[in-house]
Amino acid sequence: MEGVSYQRFPKVKIRELKDDYAKFELRDTDASMANALRRVMIAEVPTIAIDLVEIEVNSSVLNDEFIAHRLGLIPLTSERAMSMRFSRDCDACDGDGQCEFCSVEFHLRAKCMTDQTLDVTSKDLYSSDHTVVPVDFTDSAGYDSSEQRGIIIVKLRRGQELRLRAIARKGIGKDHAKWSPAATVTFMYEPEIHINEDMMETLTLEEKQSFVESSPTRVFDIDPNTQQVVVVDPEAYTYDDEVLKKAEAMGKPGLVEIYAKEDSFIFTVESTGAIKASQLVLNAIEVLKQKLDAVRLSEDTVEADDQFGELGAHMRGG
Amino acid sequence: MERQRRKRPGPFSDAEELEELKELFKHHIESFDYMIDEGLDLMLKRVKPVQIFDSSSNKTLRIWLDHPEVYPPQKDRSSKTSAGALYPFECRQAKISYTGSFHIDVCFQWDGGVVVREKLNFGEFPIMLKSKRCYLREADPRKLVACKEESREMGGYFILNGLERVVRLLILPKRNYPMSLVRNSFRDRREGYTDKAVVIRCVRGDLSSVTVKLYYLHNGSARLGFWVQGREYMLPVGIILKALIDTNDREIYTKLTCCYNEKNGEGKGAVGTQLVGERAKIILDEVQHLALFTQEQCLQHIGEHFQPIMEGMESESYSTVADVVLRNYIFVHLDDNNDKFNLLIFMVQKLFSLIDQTSAPDNSDSLQNQEVLLPGHLITIYLKEKLEDWLRKGKKLIEDAINNKSKNFDFCSMKDVKKVMEKNRPTQVSAAIENLLKTGRLITQTGLDLQQRAGFTVQAERLNYHRFLSFFRCVHRGASFAGLRTTSVRKLLPESWGFLCPVHTPDGEPCGLLNHMTCTCRITSYYNSPGNIRDFFKIRMSILDVLVGVGMTTSWPKVDHAGPPQVLPVLLDGRVVGSLPSGEAEKVVAHLRRLKLAAASVIPDDLEVGYVPLSLGGTYPGLYLFTSPSRFVRPVRNISIPSADGKDIELIGPFEQVFMEIRCPDGGNGGRSNIFPATHEEISPTAMLSVVANLTPWSDHNQSPRNMYQCQMAKQTMAFSLQAINARADQKLYHLQTPQTPIVRTKTYTKYCMDEYPSGTNAIVAVLAYTGYDMEDAMILNKSSVERGMCHGQIYQTETIDLGDDKSKSDRGQRIFKREHSDRSISSCLDSDGLPHVGQVIRPNEPYCSTINQVTNSKRLYNHKGSETVIVDYVAVDTKSKKHLQKANIRFRHPRNPVIGDKFSSRHGQKGVCSQLWPDIDMPFSGVTGMRPDLIINPHAFPSRMTIAMLLESVAAKGGSLHGKFVDATPFSDSVKEAKGKTEAESESLVDELGSMLRARGFNYHGVEVLYSGVYGTELTCEIFIGPVYYQRLRHMVSDKYQVRATGQVDQITRQPIKGRKRGGGIRFGEMERDAMLAHGAAYLLHDRLHTCSDYHIADVCSLCGSILTTSIVQPPKRVVREIGGLPPARAPKKVTCHACQTSKGMETVAMPYVFRYLAAELAAMNITMTIQLNSGAGA
Repeated sequence: MEGVSYQRFPKVKIRELKDDYAKFELRDTDASMANALRRVMIAEVPTIAIDLVEIEVNSSVLNDEFIAHRLGLIPLTSERAMSMRFSRDCDACDGDGQCEFCSVEFHLRAKCMTDQTLDVTSKDLYSSDHTVVPVDFTDSAGYDSSEQRGIIIVKLRRGQELRLRAIARKGIGKDHAKWSPAATVTFMYEPEIHINEDMMETLTLEEKQSFVESSPTRVFDIDPNTQQVVVVDPEAYTYDDEVLKKAEAMGKPGLVEIYAKEDSFIFTVESTGAIKASQLVLNAIEVLKQKLDAVRLSEDTVEADDQFGELGAHMRGG
Repeated sequence: MERQRRKRPGPFSDAEELEELKELFKHHIESFDYMIDEGLDLMLKRVKPVQIFDSSSNKTLRIWLDHPEVYPPQKDRSSKTSAGALYPFECRQAKISYTGSFHIDVCFQWDGGVVVREKLNFGEFPIMLKSKRCYLREADPRKLVACKEESREMGGYFILNGLERVVRLLILPKRNYPMSLVRNSFRDRREGYTDKAVVIRCVRGDLSSVTVKLYYLHNGSARLGFWVQGREYMLPVGIILKALIDTNDREIYTKLTCCYNEKNGEGKGAVGTQLVGERAKIILDEVQHLALFTQEQCLQHIGEHFQPIMEGMESESYSTVADVVLRNYIFVHLDDNNDKFNLLIFMVQKLFSLIDQTSAPDNSDSLQNQEVLLPGHLITIYLKEKLEDWLRKGKKLIEDAINNKSKNFDFCSMKDVKKVMEKNRPTQVSAAIENLLKTGRLITQTGLDLQQRAGFTVQAERLNYHRFLSFFRCVHRGASFAGLRTTSVRKLLPESWGFLCPVHTPDGEPCGLLNHMTCTCRITSYYNSPGNIRDFFKIRMSILDVLVGVGMTTSWPKVDHAGPPQVLPVLLDGRVVGSLPSGEAEKVVAHLRRLKLAAASVIPDDLEVGYVPLSLGGTYPGLYLFTSPSRFVRPVRNISIPSADGKDIELIGPFEQVFMEIRCPDGGNGGRSNIFPATHEEISPTAMLSVVANLTPWSDHNQSPRNMYQCQMAKQTMAFSLQAINARADQKLYHLQTPQTPIVRTKTYTKYCMDEYPSGTNAIVAVLAYTGYDMEDAMILNKSSVERGMCHGQIYQTETIDLGDDKSKSDRGQRIFKREHSDRSISSCLDSDGLPHVGQVIRPNEPYCSTINQVTNSKRLYNHKGSETVIVDYVAVDTKSKKHLQKANIRFRHPRNPVIGDKFSSRHGQKGVCSQLWPDIDMPFSGVTGMRPDLIINPHAFPSRMTIAMLLESVAAKGGSLHGKFVDATPFSDSVKEAKGKTEAESESLVDELGSMLRARGFNYHGVEVLYSGVYGTELTCEIFIGPVYYQRLRHMVSDKYQVRATGQVDQITRQPIKGRKRGGGIRFGEMERDAMLAHGAAYLLHDRLHTCSDYHIADVCSLCGSILTTSIVQPPKRVVREIGGLPPARAPKKVTCHACQTSKGMETVAMPYVFRYLAAELAAMNITMTIQLNSGAGA
């Protein structure tokens, strides 16, 4: 079977797109592709997160590591991340994280002078780079901005103080979860539901009702006019086989047939806010492509190293 | 769905909520309070005064003690001026004791003259926290926080040398109740003794106790045994009966035989038999043989025999001595001889009934016949002995001074006497108490009528709140039982129902001996509910009035009673007060119970009405009333008394419980016939569980041992240990950084505000065999979850550096905290004051403190030991004393985030070890929600262990989190629901309830979900059970346990590797391991382990004489060898000679274990030669 091409041309259809949420269909490809995309989105799309914290004063109730850990988990806007360098292979600074190519510096100074508890939040972090700042949820979520003051880092009482310098670096979720841009990425196989209409007709209305209700999610419904069972939302089906078991229990096996389409997937992507959900998908495809390039050129690793310095290291690192 | 508003206790929870918690600690504090309020006073009154007679001046000096006073802790103990108050947190940090000064008036009186009172300082007396002498007594949560305490500090413990120690509650035989026992050891008392006896532990008003035993002899007589100064003396009962009151043979005979009536025959409730008369005759005959007829003669007889051993009574008359013996050793809880007589008659009757098998022996292991030893009581009796010792010693010193003519001692001078008395340092009395609490050891000659000498106190570890709380709720059976081979003491007896938790006992060595009180169980005290000291005399009198009012015939002065079954004897706190027609008894009991509940009556609400009905060979019948403190009590609902205003909660004790009819919500009628309808009802079915056992969700759905394991593991959990952690200087403290409140919780959790000290994380748990890394109770943690902070924690460890107690005396006072300025190497770690910076990272073998001797200028560095990098959390210095710092507490923080090998457990006795931190992307995920589990456990963990509640918890927590509310998981709640009438149309099963919660949110009814492989993206072939389960991190961590060694330190003598993890030693390759190697024929490996890697040694052996000890190396003359660049110098051949043979001809080298050489040397030391015969391997 020489010369036969297995090449497929996957199609993407976007259903819903918000800053931190995306839902799209991926068709004409298989599970390996879909899963690779998911995995890359979670673990290998680079973002920027605080990685080094130098604490000058900390008289708060939380200890230094705790605060450093909390700082690390704050999502920072990372549009720049793709073009930034990893500190470990930054030529400009030998990876000590002090140069503009691979790091962003933050400062935090907070001291409580009143009797009221002071909330130190991500808003108190001052960035040296206006493109890399803590993610601001106020506008997108639609909360009252006075109520939402960013992510709380620590609370201070009178006299307590927190002063620190933090350096954010580029990284990937594989190394530490703080660099993961995705809150959740998941896909499901598109279900294909066939109702055996003839058999369905043999059911009474109560039986139909109970059949419809047997699914915990609203997949089926009864048409108020025709009294027929119709599929209202096939994608609500969770492959829990509840309706199949119900049909079996009613003595009507084969009442419905449900298949998972092997080649079409419905993706749901939720972003932490570090990157826009749409960008996250694009970046993931980009990273995936780079990885594939590396595989293609791997026979000539030395050359590949020269060509894809960053990526080669990336491959070795991963 | 209304969003359930979480009831947050807030930083300062309500006083009401704390009240529940306070109840759990109350018995400790009340017993101590009583001691301060009245106990000491009473005890001093009973301390025997000493009398000293001076022959020269012909005067008698009487010394006694009076008016004890304990003061609140003060800072500067030396100066009398009012220094600042000493607060508990200061004691913890400075590693000193929380003590207040203790003063007693010592009274001197010469020949009945004027009483001279002298207030003496008896040292520093340990003060229990939150007792009446503690500053935290009335403090509200806000004040407590200001005092650097927990906002919910409950007290009940002592602080000694900075450590918190609790007195362990011990089980004692019930006081003032004659118990019939059968024990083989009674036979060994003397010839003719049987194994049966009636034993009574009599307790005086000052809480000291004396146990009296009435033995039965083969010949039908009985002997009364009591201990005087560590020896048991046995007297014939007849003598005692006659000595107690002026009586005659006839009266004794009728008294003894009154319990037998021919008409009764062997019917129900008859305790006497024909033989009683015969035995009575034998008892009387015995006395007659001794020619003792009158009371006077008996007293003379006793006095004559006891005078030699009675101290200080050498000159008294025999009858006075006998009086003292009767008063101090026989039935000491009674003051009146008539009462003693009646009690002795009662005991003899009970003994005879035991012999005739008309009544059964009492079980001393059953809670029915037990009470508890409280801290205040223990301290009181110990203090009494110490004070008596002190007086006795003082007397001896004065007598010595009188006899010592060389000294100018004026017996009548107050100054001289006092000077001599001061030599006998009074402060040592308090020191002895402090020592008791510090070590838990009693140092006593008499034994104080206690069964053990050690183990009275334990350290209250604050590992987590469950553990800390349990220290105050646990009751130990006694150390003497721990070594016993029999298991009968460890048995869970039905008598302990509702008082001791059947679940909460450790497994293993202390199983069944160390029990925990149930959450509703209380201990009676000297205080009534408004907090006033009870007047037991008044209480007893009013009870007597009530009893007489309802038809009791009093035993006063001398009335001949019939015995059971016609009448029942009535005993009130071990005193025979009269008898009651047996037909009336039930009515009387009901009446008494009604009075117990009535608020207006003088009858205390915790009066124990032990009505033992007539039976065929059961417990000896009677009405036994107890008002005494330190009994167990618990509340039940009295349903026989109609009451409107909720005044139906009655406190019952274990003695009466056995004979009561108590209904339990789902207990059915418990085989109860209609003749005995239930008179009482359990308030809640969970009242039978301890606090910790009550926290297990749906423990009624678990296999019982799993609940026991959970109780153990809850106490080993690394949790949010303390809120005032910044003011603490504990040796080691475990702390969970990001705890959560459980979604599924019991009512107890809310009741005791356990949210203040949460102990785990709601982890999303998937039950599947995913990678193989979850075999055998291992579990896979999601790496990303851990990175996001799940189960993060740290250990706080404090090092105290006290320059005051330096070992070398020469050094003392010269050392100061300082860093050498010249030393650049340590300047990065240490400040110029020799102490580290807060937040400083300290790596292994780096210094964390430096001191310098001012005189010799020698420095000393304190290096961080261990293989972990730590962070300085806190440095506290003692600034008060002297001009230089003397003490410093340096607290380190060991970050302990989860790693492979750390131990975790759910709340259902399902523990496991983390085997992998698995990447998030490789974890299975849910197609619908995208959820990846935090934790994967193997399904094999369930079938054999049957922890159904864990599955329920998973489903419930999933439903709860989807609905945004907490789920109540109180065990046995369905039984309560059913009992309350089926309000819902059909009582749903729990699973239905939980399942429908899930369904309503579009999830599978059974809590399973379709998951997709994280690696392949394909659907897993079966549905996976997944949901949140509250997981605890246990304190066992690999970082504290791993042990590796390649090469390292060896033993000096044997040259074998040393043992011990701390010193970098190896793990013993023992006999059994050796056997395994042999069995496998792994000879090379065996040789490697036992020889090459151990004490491999090449010895020079002289083949001529066969000795390995006589060889010595002769240093060859140094040859000048030209060094070849880069190569090691050529080794000069060693020349070895044998001293014995004076030649180096036959020298051979042999590889052997070094211990062999050592053995040869040891043998040589014993004049035994060891010779070795060598031959070449081929010839062998």
